[in-house]
Amino acid sequence: MSAYTAFVRSGFLTSLAYRSEVWANIFGKLVQVFARVAIWLAVYAGVTAVDGISIGDMITYALLGGVVMGATRYDRIIRHVGTALKTGDVAVWLLKPVHYPLYLLSIEAGASAYTFLLAVVPTIVIVALVYGMHPPASLFHGVMFAAYCGLSFIIHFLCAAIFGVLAFWLMTIFSLEWLLQSLISLLSGLLIPFWFFPEPFGSIASHQPLAWLVYYPSAVWLGRLDIGQTLLYFGFGIAWAGLLTLALTLLWRRAASRITVHGG
Amino acid sequence: MQHTLGTLLLLVSMYIKSQMEYRGAFWLDRLAQIVSYGAVLLGMWILLQKFDLLGGWNWPELALLFSFQLLAYALGASASFTQLRDLEDLVRLGTLDALLTKPINTWAYLIFSGLNIGYAGHIILAIPVLVWALLAAQVQWSLFTAMFFAASLISAMLVTGAVITMIGATAMIWVRSNHLFSIFFGFWELTRYPLNIFPGGIQAVMLTIVPLGYISAVPVAVLLDKPVPLLGDFAWLAALLAGPVLTLIAIAHWRYAMSRYQGAGG
Repeated sequence: MSAYTAFVRSGFLTSLAYRSEVWANIFGKLVQVFARVAIWLAVYAGVTAVDGISIGDMITYALLGGVVMGATRYDRIIRHVGTALKTGDVAVWLLKPVHYPLYLLSIEAGASAYTFLLAVVPTIVIVALVYGMHPPASLFHGVMFAAYCGLSFIIHFLCAAIFGVLAFWLMTIFSLEWLLQSLISLLSGLLIPFWFFPEPFGSIASHQPLAWLVYYPSAVWLGRLDIGQTLLYFGFGIAWAGLLTLALTLLWRRAASRITVHGG
Repeated sequence: MQHTLGTLLLLVSMYIKSQMEYRGAFWLDRLAQIVSYGAVLLGMWILLQKFDLLGGWNWPELALLFSFQLLAYALGASASFTQLRDLEDLVRLGTLDALLTKPINTWAYLIFSGLNIGYAGHIILAIPVLVWALLAAQVQWSLFTAMFFAASLISAMLVTGAVITMIGATAMIWVRSNHLFSIFFGFWELTRYPLNIFPGGIQAVMLTIVPLGYISAVPVAVLLDKPVPLLGDFAWLAALLAGPVLTLIAIAHWRYAMSRYQGAGG
C-alpha cells in the first residue's frame, strides 16, 4: 500500500515540475469555462427558465462541469499506457510487485489532486465571481456532491484505463483517445445536460456509466435529485464502477498474457 | 528551384508512403476523428433542437460555421501542427542541429517531410457538412460572395498555419512551446461558435493577440451578412487580409527565432 501512496505523491510532484504547462492549462480551462457559460447565456437569450431550469442553474452546471472534469485527464491515462506499450516499459511493470492498473490509478490521483488544487479551484472561483454560482441545494446535496465527485474520478479512470488497455490489441492509442473523447463530450453531460436531450435519448444517456462523470454530480448539487434518488443513483454508479473494474481486470489479465506470449 | 521542388515532393511522397504502411491503423484513426467531431456537431444539433438560436444563429448557419472552421483548420494544420509541435523535441534533443546543416530550407524540410495527411478525416467530414450548410443557410450568392468564400477560406487556412508556426517557433527561443498549444486549443474551440456570444474581452483577444476569430467566425458572419463585433463594415477586408498579414508576421518571427536559436540538446 505504501508503494501506491508513493506513486500518488510522485504523480503530484511530477506535475509540480511542469508548472508552465499547468499554468497554460489553467488559462486554457478558464477560456473554455467562460465559453461554456457564454454559450448558455446566448441560448437562453434573456429567458429566465427553460423546462424549469433557470439560467443561474445552467451557469452553475457549466462551472460544476469544470470542477468534476477539470482535473482528471483521460488522454493522460491512455497515453501513459500507449507510451509504456511503445517503449516496452510495460514488460518491466509486469516484473514489479505492483499491479499496473493500480499504479496508473495512483499516478493519476496525484496528478489530478495537483491540477484540482492549483488549476481547477482558482479557475472556478474566478468564473464564479464573474457570473455567480448557486450553492448546493442542501447540506445533504453538498456532501453527496463530494461523494459523487469521488465516484466520477473512479469511473473516469476506469473508462480511460479500459481504452488504454485496448491498445494491447490495436497497437495504437490515437483512435482510442479520440473515440473516448467523443463519448465523453456527448455522453458525460459536460456540454449539454441530459434533461435537454430529446427523448428517449435523454433517458438512455442518463443510464450509461459516463453519465456519472458530470451529469449526476452536477444534478445532485443543483437538487434535481431528491434524497432517495440521490442515494439510489449513487448505488447505480457504484454498480457501474464495479462492472468496469471487473472489465478492466479481465482485459488486463488477457493483455498481460498477450505480452507474455509475444515478449522475450 | 526545380530541384528544391522535386526534393520537397519526394519528401511528401516518402512520408505518405510511410503512413500508408499502416493502412488499417491510418483509416481507423481517421474514423475515430470523424466520430469525435461528429459528436461535437451532434451536440450542437441537440442544443439547437431545444433552443432554435445561438446568439442569433440557427442550425444551418452554425453547421456552416463548424464546417468552415474544421476545413480551414485541417488545411492549415496539415502543413504546420504536428511538425511544429514536434519542433520542441527536436530542439530539446538537439536533433534540430542536424536539420540546420541540410542543404535545404529548414522550415520547408520540417513541413514537407511531415505533411500530415491525417487531416483527411477532418476534410471528409467538413466538406459534405459545408456543402449542405451552404445550401441550407440561404447565403445570398453573388460573384463577390463566391470569390469572398474562396479567398476567405485560403486566408483562414493561412491564419491557422501562421499562428501554429509562431507558437512552434518559440521552442527555438524558450526550448518549450507545447504549453502554448494548450492556450491555442482553448481559444480554438471557441471558433466553432459565433464571436458575438463571448464577452468583449474574449472578442478583442480573438481578433488581435490570438487572431483565431479570422479562422471562421469573421468570414462566415460576412458570408451570412451578420454583424461582426468590433470590426463592423471592415470585417470582410479584415477576413481577407488576416491570412497574408499573419503569414508575413510568422515568417519574420520564424527568422527571428532561428537567429536566437543556440541549441539545447546534447
